[in-house]
Amino acid sequence: MADFDVEPGAARDNVLVASESFENFEQMSSSLEEIMSVNAISTAAEIEDDTTTNTQEDITHNQENGSEINEKQEDVENSLDWTNKRKHIFVISTAGKPIYSRYGNEDKLAWLFGVMLGLFRYSRDSIKSIHAGDTTYVFLSKKPLILVAVSKTGECVNQLTLQLNYVFNQIVSMLTLKRLTKIYDEKANYDLRRLLTGVDRLIDHLLDFSENEPAFTLGAIQCLPLAISERDSISKIIKDACSKIRNLVFAILLGNNRLISLVQMKKYHLHPADLHLIFNLVQATESLKYSESWTPLCLPRFDNSGYLYAHVSYLADDCQACLLLLTVEKDVFFPLSEAKQKIVEKLRMGNNLEHINTSLAALEESALATGFPELRHYLYKCKSTVQFYQPALCPPYTKNKVRLIELYKRAHQKMHCPTRPLKLSFERSSDEAVFSWDTKGFELYAVFEPLIDTASAINCVSKLLNWIKKREDKLFHLNAYTF
Amino acid sequence: MGGMNKEIELQSFFIFNSAFGPKEGDLEGDQLKKILYYYPSTDNTRVQEDNVGLVEGIVQFTQTFNPSSPVSSLHTSKLRQLYFQPEPDFWVVLTLTLPIVTKVKENATSVEYLEEDLQDNVYEAALKQAYYMYRLFWGTFQNTLDKNDLDTLKLRMEIFFTAYLKSIKISNLDILTIFGGIQYLPLDRQTFLNIQCFVNFIESKWNYIAHTAFLYNEHIIWSGLEPNDMQMIYQYLTGTLLPANVETELQGGSMPRNTASPFISLHHGRFITGPTNLKQAKTIGKVPKVYLFSQGQVREYHLVVYRALSATVCFFIEGKTELALNDFKALDEFINPKLSSIVNDIAEYCSKQVVTPSSTPETPKFIYFNKLNLAYKSSVHLDNKHTGNVTCNKDSLRVMSDMKHTNSYLGLDGENIVKTTNDYWVFSKTSNLREFYIVLQQKNASLIGISEEVKRLCETELDRIFFHPM
Repeated sequence: MADFDVEPGAARDNVLVASESFENFEQMSSSLEEIMSVNAISTAAEIEDDTTTNTQEDITHNQENGSEINEKQEDVENSLDWTNKRKHIFVISTAGKPIYSRYGNEDKLAWLFGVMLGLFRYSRDSIKSIHAGDTTYVFLSKKPLILVAVSKTGECVNQLTLQLNYVFNQIVSMLTLKRLTKIYDEKANYDLRRLLTGVDRLIDHLLDFSENEPAFTLGAIQCLPLAISERDSISKIIKDACSKIRNLVFAILLGNNRLISLVQMKKYHLHPADLHLIFNLVQATESLKYSESWTPLCLPRFDNSGYLYAHVSYLADDCQACLLLLTVEKDVFFPLSEAKQKIVEKLRMGNNLEHINTSLAALEESALATGFPELRHYLYKCKSTVQFYQPALCPPYTKNKVRLIELYKRAHQKMHCPTRPLKLSFERSSDEAVFSWDTKGFELYAVFEPLIDTASAINCVSKLLNWIKKREDKLFHLNAYTF
Repeated sequence: MGGMNKEIELQSFFIFNSAFGPKEGDLEGDQLKKILYYYPSTDNTRVQEDNVGLVEGIVQFTQTFNPSSPVSSLHTSKLRQLYFQPEPDFWVVLTLTLPIVTKVKENATSVEYLEEDLQDNVYEAALKQAYYMYRLFWGTFQNTLDKNDLDTLKLRMEIFFTAYLKSIKISNLDILTIFGGIQYLPLDRQTFLNIQCFVNFIESKWNYIAHTAFLYNEHIIWSGLEPNDMQMIYQYLTGTLLPANVETELQGGSMPRNTASPFISLHHGRFITGPTNLKQAKTIGKVPKVYLFSQGQVREYHLVVYRALSATVCFFIEGKTELALNDFKALDEFINPKLSSIVNDIAEYCSKQVVTPSSTPETPKFIYFNKLNLAYKSSVHLDNKHTGNVTCNKDSLRVMSDMKHTNSYLGLDGENIVKTTNDYWVFSKTSNLREFYIVLQQKNASLIGISEEVKRLCETELDRIFFHPM
């Protein structure tokens, strides 16, 4: 159909760990210990834990004033407004302690948490989902926590389970799984919220994010469009500036929810699910814009037992791209800060900042603007590199992006039914026509005008694939750089 | 080898009403009082109580979030539970085990539960059908409570459901169960009018016959009932009553309509409910009572079924009427001669119809359903007895049920064409409350080619049915 041998976006070196989005979430790709021992540097893991406890508790202290205000609010938990929220998310400990509720105060919902835990135990821990009309209730057990979603969005169980997994990973990314397990081993009825203040906000944001971005459903990352020479030169500058720093694992440059450059330690790869958490952290934390930060961060798919330490800063006042330098060393803020300065200087000298800014400002073009008048929107995912591309939104979805995302979620689910996966689907309603195609190398979801005939749709798809192929080196991060 | 695979199996089926249990807070009360029927009886009371307790918890929990309809199913890692609340406070619950495949990988066997192979929409329909079948013969649960008492209700449930559960072929249910459709037999005008005349004549001669239905083999030619009422009668006739009688008949009966010979002129007309052997009958025998609900109120009828050759005539006689043996004799005398000539006409008409060429795996298979009159046609199913006798693979049937589910998101009109990983193409179209599904097995076909094939099939198979143009 389209005339190329290798699917658009495929590359010899994979920047990210390729995976299916519904695969087992517990599998990790790497081990921090390995990095430490290979590089033979101190491994004082215990001390690390203590320091983080302190910093986390400081935050707790600061936020206590905030919670008093909340208590004066009315009982939203009993209102119709609360009941009719499109998607509730709850987190409980296996001992029944409320940890998180997306809407309303957990303490006032204690009875509900009790009921959920009761059901879970009563069913001998095997409950997966309940269905009632427009509402789907999904349970996920991730020891030592239980996560529950109650949704009226029409998303299927697998999609909701995926989101619960992300919520769990978000919690793990603040605490590490090792520590989380240890806390509950020592004190089963521990109130985890003491350690998690601030994480609420991240989870809230993560949920909004996953409802508005196809990246989660696809399990893939979108890159900022940049000429290949430009991206290579940026990656090279980062690589050169950091090459002398020991135990630096990842350098990630991102902007506008798009990946600009990723440089990593030899043999180590970042999983897209972890990268999503990093995107979320950057997006949800406004304060990162104003100063350099140093924060411990666990990447659950990379190694859920320990922390990486992240130096996070925006490149410059006149360039809103965010640079994260992740290391296993817990006290190298200053060397990393210096490295960052060097990177910015070089990027400025090489005019790279300007190019990044241009691309950040321009964003993607719509399918219409690129010569596909019947194509409203599409998602193209290259499977081997787990990167995807989508054009800008255009009507009728500009006002209701969630509807488009839900359309994609349904299409994705249909293609990936565990016992009956499909190769191809063409679906037509009075609102739109959706073409879904799953091949060895790529997945494509294209939304057309409803009245398009099949032959023109096919014709358009093959033209589109050629169009993407021609621009692959701009739209995708093809060359992997390592320290 | 020796991999153990299991199909979907019935684990339990129970009916409870929490209002019959102890009041809230009364922990000492007898929880078992809530349970009106429980299968299997081998589950001890502790298990029964626990199972009912879990459902009560789930009902309460789900209500907290104001769902658009009451809870309908629970998925666990090994089981599926389906719920139906047919009348206030009464819950009917069906528990099934998920199908299992055992896989051998590197000398280690692992058991996999195929959650997606047990489709909620199919088994929700089966559960509802069980209740509606009960209601057809005994009226609502509340009706028995009002007219009789709790023990009578329990007894009726016991007798009905224990037999019913044995009769359903749980692993062979598919999209046809969701439709619960009826097969009609289209006829030429003259024959159809003859039948209508025949029916009208009988109804005016015996005015206590309120409604009549006329079937030829398993196809309805005329029905004076509302489709919703006819639906359950049709399930009962084709699923239970007729197969049982066909076996005892000496000739004719079960022959497929295309080969029915017009030369069979001997008639063996007889009542299959009521006095089955009129010559020797001393009493009127067993005539079931049925409850029909469609006309906004409950109506009770005697269901008298008469069968001659391949034709079946059902008379719905006002429930208050006292039936007498002489009435049956008069009816028989009247029907017998008229029916044999009608049946001959039908058989002749049918034999003239083009016989579809014997199907090969490459022949497209289709299923059509019209929600308005509940008519269905299927070239996928070789009979309508849920024997699993189907002409396409089971996965394609499951894809159809998936599509039926997702089509609800497409609005009133929509179509969908998919290609499975084993190179089957499945097409679905919904329009004007009609649904049409096609399975095609064509290797190396393209989407465009299949679309054209589908278009052609829609034109030939559904030429007189109006679909909104898409």
